[in-house]
Amino acid sequence: MVKRIARKELVEMLRDGRFRVLSAAVLAVSLLSLAVGWKHYADVSRQHAAAQAATRDQWLHQTKKNPHSAAHYGVYAFKPKSPLAIVDTGVDPYVGVAVWLEAHKQNEFKYRPAQDRTAVGRFGDMTAAETLQVLVPLFIVLMTFSAFAGEREQGTLRQLLSLGVEPRDLAVGKAAGIGAALGLVLLPSAVLGVTALTLTSDGGFLSGKPTRAALLVAFYLIYFAVITAVSLGVSARARSSRLALVVLLSFWFANSLVASRVVADVASWLHPTPSAVEFQKAMDAELNKPEEMERRLDRRKAELMRQYKVETVDALPVAFSGVSLQEGENHGDEVFDAHYGRLFDTFDRQNTVYQLAGLVAPMLAIRSVSMGLASTDFQQHRHFITAAEGYRRLIQRTMNDDIMAHPTRTAYLAGRELWEKVPEFEYEAPAASWVLGNTRWSIGVLFAWLVVAAFWMSRPLATAML
Amino acid sequence: MLEAIDLSKKYGSQIALERLNLTIAPGEVFCLLGANGAGKTTTINLFLNFIDPSGGTARINGLDVTKKPLETKRFVAYIPEQVMLYRNLTGLENLEYFTALAGHEYSRAAFIDLFRQVGLPEGAEDRRVSTYSKGMRQKVGIAIAIAKKAEALLLDEPTSGLDPKASNEFSALLKQMSDRGVAVLMATHDLFRAKESGSRVGIMQHGRLVATMSTADIGHADLERLYLEHMHD
Repeated sequence: MVKRIARKELVEMLRDGRFRVLSAAVLAVSLLSLAVGWKHYADVSRQHAAAQAATRDQWLHQTKKNPHSAAHYGVYAFKPKSPLAIVDTGVDPYVGVAVWLEAHKQNEFKYRPAQDRTAVGRFGDMTAAETLQVLVPLFIVLMTFSAFAGEREQGTLRQLLSLGVEPRDLAVGKAAGIGAALGLVLLPSAVLGVTALTLTSDGGFLSGKPTRAALLVAFYLIYFAVITAVSLGVSARARSSRLALVVLLSFWFANSLVASRVVADVASWLHPTPSAVEFQKAMDAELNKPEEMERRLDRRKAELMRQYKVETVDALPVAFSGVSLQEGENHGDEVFDAHYGRLFDTFDRQNTVYQLAGLVAPMLAIRSVSMGLASTDFQQHRHFITAAEGYRRLIQRTMNDDIMAHPTRTAYLAGRELWEKVPEFEYEAPAASWVLGNTRWSIGVLFAWLVVAAFWMSRPLATAML
Repeated sequence: MLEAIDLSKKYGSQIALERLNLTIAPGEVFCLLGANGAGKTTTINLFLNFIDPSGGTARINGLDVTKKPLETKRFVAYIPEQVMLYRNLTGLENLEYFTALAGHEYSRAAFIDLFRQVGLPEGAEDRRVSTYSKGMRQKVGIAIAIAKKAEALLLDEPTSGLDPKASNEFSALLKQMSDRGVAVLMATHDLFRAKESGSRVGIMQHGRLVATMSTADIGHADLERLYLEHMHD
């Protein structure tokens, strides 16, 4: 019976002029957003690969110089783009794509596309994720608001219920029919997207990320099921299709457009972060503590003289300048870890608020999961920052170790042999299971919405529906 | 068979139906007459279990409609004042859909045969019902009842707004249904049609069945006089 109802819903919808116009619009926007995303991904990936190769080449071909000068010469680390960023660019445009790795400093990320945009530019962007999170729910609302309310107004609902049709079967059948119609609209985009990703990815199908892609599709399907169930539930209870439309448009507006901004403000209020100036000032104050450096250096001197059984620093078999530089790095690392750690932990707490707010607006839940699976959320940005900072510290240690190993009264110069000791920077993104762990609240919230909305939609309502 | 045993419905202190006792045997056509608000549609809604009774029982083929809501609906077909169909589907698609949801499947040829049986013109089956007249839609309602093999028929002013020719055709179809042993309960304002089509007639007033009579025992004029007496009360 459910299959029969679903088929009839699909046929009716396909013959409905509203469906044809709306589906054409959704299809056009989703194809366009995918095409733009794919072009951006292809361009940026190519540029990143070229830039990463160039920075390595510059590092290896730098002239002979003191290793500490080389440490200041530095390298760039470019955050690799995930193929699924075609679908969801997440926070990437706001957090930057490259970081300059040099001595003494943990630099901030550079090259934020959002910085280069005009004031109205942000309104022109419509990523595939935004299409799926904002436009498709609107499409679902417009196609379902009259599913029950309209039938009640037309009188067909009485006819159906007089046949002995279970309201639950009717609701599930209608949901399946709407799902099939939605599938017809989104299938071309999905096929095109997978094809584009397959053709673009260097490492084969989705660059070895089919699990993430499959999960992304699955979670979006859950989100659409939630919106469909909520819409059908409202339509079954509203006194008129007009009232159903007003209620559902209000829900869509609050869920898709308002919740994100309000919750971001609430999260910032609950877990405030310092301004960039305050943050830098506090960190500089800790870094520039001469007495702390003197204490550390005195302790290190004593350790080394004891270790090598000498009376003066000049008598050490290692260059103390290298030791001193490394101590400076160690001190800086502790300060960076403490300050950035606190800042990022605050971001994490804000993120938890954001994820839990999905209980009120399911879009917040799917947004977190989508960014996570596309490798464009802040957690994965932090993962990359940690990896890049680790690489920076490796460079510093390699350079300082080399200085220590060359105690000389004349200027010491190193060459390509040392530069090659620093391995090329390679970043491995975390596994899908890591992402699922980070977005567990959002996933839980999505499933909770699905269960509650499905129950609400399918509750027998025979007398209330008439 | 349709049975109402002390069937009552109240909305707060307002009585919509009071202790209705009625049995409609297979093949019998019982016409309920009465002014608007007399309780005719309430009776039909109670048999369809669209509303819960405040007291008493409505039974179809011996089953209580509140205890066996889905089973009892398998035996009954309902034709309202306006049979509402899906405008974007053809007549045949509508018939197929409603019949399938009632648990019956037929071939296309069998459905077309049903269309002819109820007097729908050739080609009507493949036209969208948005082009159908009210009379045609009522006939599709009868076709659904036949396809469903209904043993009882509940009609709520089915000929209201039909032209005389369409009304006559509809009455002929009703006669065919009763000849097949279908128990029919029809709420109507149409005294002439009630006298012509009904085996018995009941007059309702303020939720009570105040008079019942066999149509064979009463003439048109007497029925009209009796009806008006109760209308003016």
